[in-house]
Amino acid sequence: MPLNRDALWYKDATIYQVHVRTFYDSNGDGIGDFQGLEQKLDYLQELGISAIWLMPFFPSPLRDDGYDIADYNSVHASYGTLEDFCKLLKSAHDRGIRIIIEMVLNHTSDQHPWFQESRSSQNHPRRDWYVWSDTDTGYKGTRIIFLDTETSNWAWDPTSKSFYWHRFFSHQPDLNYDNPAVREQMWNVMKFWLEMGVDGFRLDAVPYLVEREGTSCENLPETHNILKELRLKLDEQFSGRMLLAEANQWPADLRQYFADGDEFHMAFHFPLMPRMFMGLKLEDRKPITEILQQTPEIPPSCQWSLFLRNHDELTLEMVTDMERDYMYDMYAENKTMRLNLGIRRRLAPLLDNDRRRIELMNGMLMSLPGTPIIYYGDEIGMGDNISLGDRNGVRTPMQWSGDGNGGFSNADPEHLYAPLIQNPVYGYPAVNVASQRESGHSLFRWTQRIITVRRSTAVFGRGSIEFLYPANHRILAYLRRLSNEAVLVVNNLSSTAQAVELDLRRYKGNILIEMFGNNIFPRVGDLPYLLTMGPYQFYWFRLRRV
Amino acid sequence: MIGPVLDGSPSKACGCALEFNVEDGNFLTDDFLRQLINVGEVDILVGLPTHNNAKTIRSIVQTIQNGLLRSFPRERAVIINADGGSRDGTPELVTAISIHDARPTPNPYALRTLHSISTKYASNPDGGVAFRTILAAAELLRAKACIVMSPESTNIESEWVSKLLRPISYDGFDLVTPTYRRPKFEGLLMTNLLYPMIRALYGVRIREAHAPEFGFSGRLGSQFLNQNGWNDGTVGIGTELRFTLAAITGRYRVCQSFLGEKSQAERRSADLVPALRQTVGALFSALEPGFSFWSRVTGSQPVLTTGPDQEMLLERVRINRKRLREMFSIGVAELESVYQSILAPATLAELQRIAHLREEEFRYSAELWVRTAYEFAAAYQKSVINRDHIIQAFAPLFRGRVFTFLVENRNSSMNDVEDNIEGLCVEFERLKPYLLQLWKSKE
Amino acid sequence: MREMIVSELTQALHELARGFAHYLPRLIVMLILALAGWVIAYVVKVILRGTLRLINFDKLAENAGASQLLGKTALPSATELVGRFVFWVTWLGFVLLGVSVLGILGLQEQIARFFLFLPHLFVAMFIMFFGLLAANFFSRAALLAAVNANVPSPRVLSLAVRSIIVAFVLSIVFEELGLAEQTMLVAFGIAFGALMLGLAIAFGIGGRDLARRFLEEKFVRPKRQENEDEPSPL
Repeated sequence: MPLNRDALWYKDATIYQVHVRTFYDSNGDGIGDFQGLEQKLDYLQELGISAIWLMPFFPSPLRDDGYDIADYNSVHASYGTLEDFCKLLKSAHDRGIRIIIEMVLNHTSDQHPWFQESRSSQNHPRRDWYVWSDTDTGYKGTRIIFLDTETSNWAWDPTSKSFYWHRFFSHQPDLNYDNPAVREQMWNVMKFWLEMGVDGFRLDAVPYLVEREGTSCENLPETHNILKELRLKLDEQFSGRMLLAEANQWPADLRQYFADGDEFHMAFHFPLMPRMFMGLKLEDRKPITEILQQTPEIPPSCQWSLFLRNHDELTLEMVTDMERDYMYDMYAENKTMRLNLGIRRRLAPLLDNDRRRIELMNGMLMSLPGTPIIYYGDEIGMGDNISLGDRNGVRTPMQWSGDGNGGFSNADPEHLYAPLIQNPVYGYPAVNVASQRESGHSLFRWTQRIITVRRSTAVFGRGSIEFLYPANHRILAYLRRLSNEAVLVVNNLSSTAQAVELDLRRYKGNILIEMFGNNIFPRVGDLPYLLTMGPYQFYWFRLRRV
Repeated sequence: MIGPVLDGSPSKACGCALEFNVEDGNFLTDDFLRQLINVGEVDILVGLPTHNNAKTIRSIVQTIQNGLLRSFPRERAVIINADGGSRDGTPELVTAISIHDARPTPNPYALRTLHSISTKYASNPDGGVAFRTILAAAELLRAKACIVMSPESTNIESEWVSKLLRPISYDGFDLVTPTYRRPKFEGLLMTNLLYPMIRALYGVRIREAHAPEFGFSGRLGSQFLNQNGWNDGTVGIGTELRFTLAAITGRYRVCQSFLGEKSQAERRSADLVPALRQTVGALFSALEPGFSFWSRVTGSQPVLTTGPDQEMLLERVRINRKRLREMFSIGVAELESVYQSILAPATLAELQRIAHLREEEFRYSAELWVRTAYEFAAAYQKSVINRDHIIQAFAPLFRGRVFTFLVENRNSSMNDVEDNIEGLCVEFERLKPYLLQLWKSKE
Repeated sequence: MREMIVSELTQALHELARGFAHYLPRLIVMLILALAGWVIAYVVKVILRGTLRLINFDKLAENAGASQLLGKTALPSATELVGRFVFWVTWLGFVLLGVSVLGILGLQEQIARFFLFLPHLFVAMFIMFFGLLAANFFSRAALLAAVNANVPSPRVLSLAVRSIIVAFVLSIVFEELGLAEQTMLVAFGIAFGALMLGLAIAFGIGGRDLARRFLEEKFVRPKRQENEDEPSPL
């Protein structure tokens, strides 16, 4: 199946986020690899996704799960070779699946040769590639991101007897983007991969590229200029490729990353995600509608990226204190689940393994305006392992079958990069791809189905959104429209049955066609349209006028 | 009778006479029912009966909202306005302040939607019907804790919400009555008659049995709603007092909570007879059905009170004492024929005697007052004359008692006043057998 | 001549006998009716008495002030009185029915008129009774309202209300009974009209200022607060 050549392919995409290491081990060393992933592309094609976002696979000391890069132009030996990667790329493209890779621009590992050189002496040519200072008082007031482990954004380097700036872990020194050599080099790195054929980059930690005294050192105009530069070069030399911004900011601040359509193509809508969970617990759509009301319009070529969970903690940075307390009390009573102003749990455990809630959340993910990203394993309802430190609890091996090691690897269980989930509820004998493929009603089959339905119309990816505000606050209802196509989405956020009356007067005369069963529902008349909904139920209706 | 309204339009029943019948299922209008469906189950319900309160209602609803958001941010709540035919746009003002995502001014402290809905229960205000509407809504929405607030209380604070709700939500009480800080000589009907009499008869020391704001549990509300008596009009008058008595006789857990200063939009000194109807009339008419309860009670118990029992403001209020005494004397003289039917001959003779005393010598003693009250209660029970006339006849005697109270406490401190009230209560309790004797005679 | 006297006598005796024969059965019927009437009247009285006791008629009568009246004139209770009255009327009715059977012409007409009059009598009594009840109630209501509103001379007002109502009731009763109807009506009309006119003049001239202030208070200014007079009871 050839790749879709549309320049705006990312608007219609369904993205699958996965780490090579976690997916499938082809060579029995207990660690997933490129060849393994390549072998499982059929599964992903069957699922129906159209793009894979690969977590960092670069050579790295792996002290931050690969986000501490020690060599930008190679791959980590545990995952295979560059050749393996190229083969994977080709196989994916043959199946019509695009590959998006990580690019960490902001910082490198302290094991990267550049840093080794930079710290070696104050006079080294690469000294200026990082941000050095004799004191640790510069850029005072800048917030610390990894609150649980770091106490300062400056770290002392005994080798060069000075401080270096790091917004993340202390072993991840920030690159100095005021240095044109750095900018040039990073573009070359990106070019290396683009020439190989990758379809896009998720640019990690973009708000923090540039520091200036007296600011928050986030979202500075200089940072945006650098990014615009990169985008310009990308458009000139590699059309049809995509840049996705990882910027955990409020919608108003996020808007800048789209600029006039000349910066990023996509950005994660971070503030929406915790509010979806909050709305579900409150049984009130207010948090969801309010954040989307505050979300600014973006240029027509740009797209939001939506997700329910990812490899990080469920971040609660972009909520008020009261909302954060509520989320903690509702979703993470056990304090060990809390990390860095977030909750480190997978989707299914967060929703008490309630199939209806999982379906509802996925339904919203697939129907709200933006490109949905599915975190690997959530399509079969995998669980998590909190006893693994940091965020590793949500990065356990993919569960393929009920066989040994969950079908992930032939290695001894002790050699796996991380232990498998084994409890009776989420363990691999209970939750695995093989058994779910057998069953017609499994979560896997359901996810496959909803992706198919979503792809049947361009409305979800490209259409506008108009909220209906029925008086029953437990119902989240909105209309997605694209030229003369219209889809009505109605979600019941409550655990109890609800009745709702929708004001559809403007669509009088339309017949509602439910999109999963394709059955016709009554026509819209003058009176409010009455719907009765079961607990956590949702409807997608195509509006059709005959 | 009104038939069911099926066309979705607001019930036109509100324009006609109040022929509400629960069995018909038409007590609540279709429109209101639809609004209740949209609100769904709540944890807290705030009832607000109104009639032409446009001047004060906005700030009151906002204060209530602040109270809810501050103290109960996670609980599902609703404000229900039962309106008695306002013509100044009061209901619209209430619904306009709803916290709802359709309105683009988000309140950062509001985690949830907070509905403010309104229904017109009649074209003319009727406290009983308003309260019944609120109770019906509370039952349908399965509210666990409810409060009723008054649009007349201009100095309401947002803490009042928490003070009335907390005992119900967290401590399992069923009824929370308020206590206030008020001028020494206000609320004398409470301190001189209702409080001591309810205390003596029902054995519970509740200072404000008939209060404009109070809290109650959904359980108590439901039980009160489903009793008989709504349709024959008896329960409609003085509902607040009946509610308190129902809580006592039903052995529900009652407590008091100190709110603050009590003030009203208008000082209603001229409305003594309506006040008597609402309170004394309601009390007297409740005595008959409650006889099996209060006849067995001896002594009285204090209820748990958060905050002081009562606080006094020492503001000077100008009172025309002379007029009070005159009205007493005139009343005793002119209503002799009426009092002959009601009072015992000895009591009437004593009243006539003191009516002729000079102002300096005049004293309506506690014992005489208690006897008067008890004899009136017994006469009311027997309906010696029309019951409403009995209540009206009570007014001049009450004024006489007020006069004595004013004179006796002219220079008293708060503690002295409290001691005097306590003395009166003891007298009521001491003479309770007299009432029982009156009650049983001629049965 | 002797045969003439004998035959006349015989004829006269025959006529007498015929007369007896004509009237005797009727007399017997009349006596039977009277007896039956007595029994029926008694039964009716017992039933009525029971019914009145059930609806607590005595209490109602007390409210009407009738009991006090009866007490003063040493008559038995209202229930008893009504029962006895109904008994006598019913029995009388049966007796008169019996008399009408006798067929005495002039008497029949009178009896018919009596029976026609009976409903009016009952209605009049009914009106009287409830009229007195209303008079009592409203006069007391007026008394209480006047006392509580500190209106001067409340008893006079109460008496005035009572008088008006009683006069009105009496005029209706008389009209119902057909006794000097026109006279009564006109008399009442004149008296009532004069009273009202008098009051209007008195109020208008004597109470001009009071009237103006009253109207101002009611329609122009909101109610004044009577702070100085009484403390708030609740």
